[in-house]
Amino acid sequence: MSSDLSRRQRFEAIAAEVYDPLQRYLRRRASPDDAGDLLGDVLLTIWRRVDDVPSESPLPWCYSVARRTLSNHRRGIRRRLRLVERLESEPPSAMLLDPAEGLEDDDLAAALSALPAADQEIIRLWAWEQLEPREIAETLGSTANAVSLRLSRAKKKLAETMSRQSPPSPGHKGDRHAEEQRR
Amino acid sequence: MTDELRERVARLDPMHSEVPTESVTTPSSRQLLEDIMSTPVIEQPETGPTPKKSQWMLGVAAAATLVVAVGGALALTNGGSADPTVAAGPPLVLNAGTNDSMAMCIVFDVEFLAPMPVAFEGTVTEVEGDRVTLTADHWFKGGDASQVVINAPQGLEALIASFPLELGEQYLITATDGNVNYCGFSGPSTPELRSAFEEAFGS
Repeated sequence: MSSDLSRRQRFEAIAAEVYDPLQRYLRRRASPDDAGDLLGDVLLTIWRRVDDVPSESPLPWCYSVARRTLSNHRRGIRRRLRLVERLESEPPSAMLLDPAEGLEDDDLAAALSALPAADQEIIRLWAWEQLEPREIAETLGSTANAVSLRLSRAKKKLAETMSRQSPPSPGHKGDRHAEEQRR
Repeated sequence: MTDELRERVARLDPMHSEVPTESVTTPSSRQLLEDIMSTPVIEQPETGPTPKKSQWMLGVAAAATLVVAVGGALALTNGGSADPTVAAGPPLVLNAGTNDSMAMCIVFDVEFLAPMPVAFEGTVTEVEGDRVTLTADHWFKGGDASQVVINAPQGLEALIASFPLELGEQYLITATDGNVNYCGFSGPSTPELRSAFEEAFGS
């Protein structure tokens, strides 16, 4: 059990390591205003459970806390939206982030958006948070083997979706991948 | 291919490394951290926080004797966690097979789906004998546990209600009175079933 001083020191050290990646994680999945509030909630949980945070690699554990915090937040939004019967006209904040907007790799962005939510999330954790399967497993409360399997399937679905969306045409990088997939 | 795909997806990242974030050393960040560190900590019981494995075993042990009343996350002890909304809670435990409430099948209809008290989308992470563990990827209704354990009757192994629960695959599950519903009210995640869930429970 931590003394006050060592608890503070430990928390400060963890916060220094995870403050930036947690902000990015939350901003990718929530509106800027909500992300700020959520960051405080996540850090508060880390403070309360500082003895549980793995010493060597705290980030996946912290992402796991962020994931749950975000999930609770989204449920709250949905409840509120249902109450005022605006669900269809105003999507939850987490959906505000549309990777397809204003980006050059439109085929890939569209294909990613077309995947089931769980597949999108595992791809994002892999490519945006740059996590390896065992770290994704810790974040999602799964096993590394299961995550590897899911990631592999999600990547395959992504490639298949891209190949369906973009008929092959000479000189397009993404289309070459699609062609390779078909061989 | 994989590395290139990863790089391409990474380029879609709206919060890539060149997008600035607030430094941990700014006055407002420091204030936030100081506010948090001034929050009293509820000390854990003498055994300390329950490790994840113990929580898992607790849920499984409970399943042997308990038909779970659902309608929310299972309220088994979680080892004194200070923040039940975000702490790793015990898995929700459901049963499948002989006691299911849909034993007399009714024709699938969203109208019948909507009142079901538990609905989630999950991925099978472990199949062990009569016990299948899923990670809850998305809760539509009736819970917030990160894991759900489904106990199938002995002899059925992972084959529950005519659809096999396979490792790594994703399923949409409903339950009533602690029992998994089938007759089309649970099954592999397909766009059609997901649409029905979204229509019944909201996205």
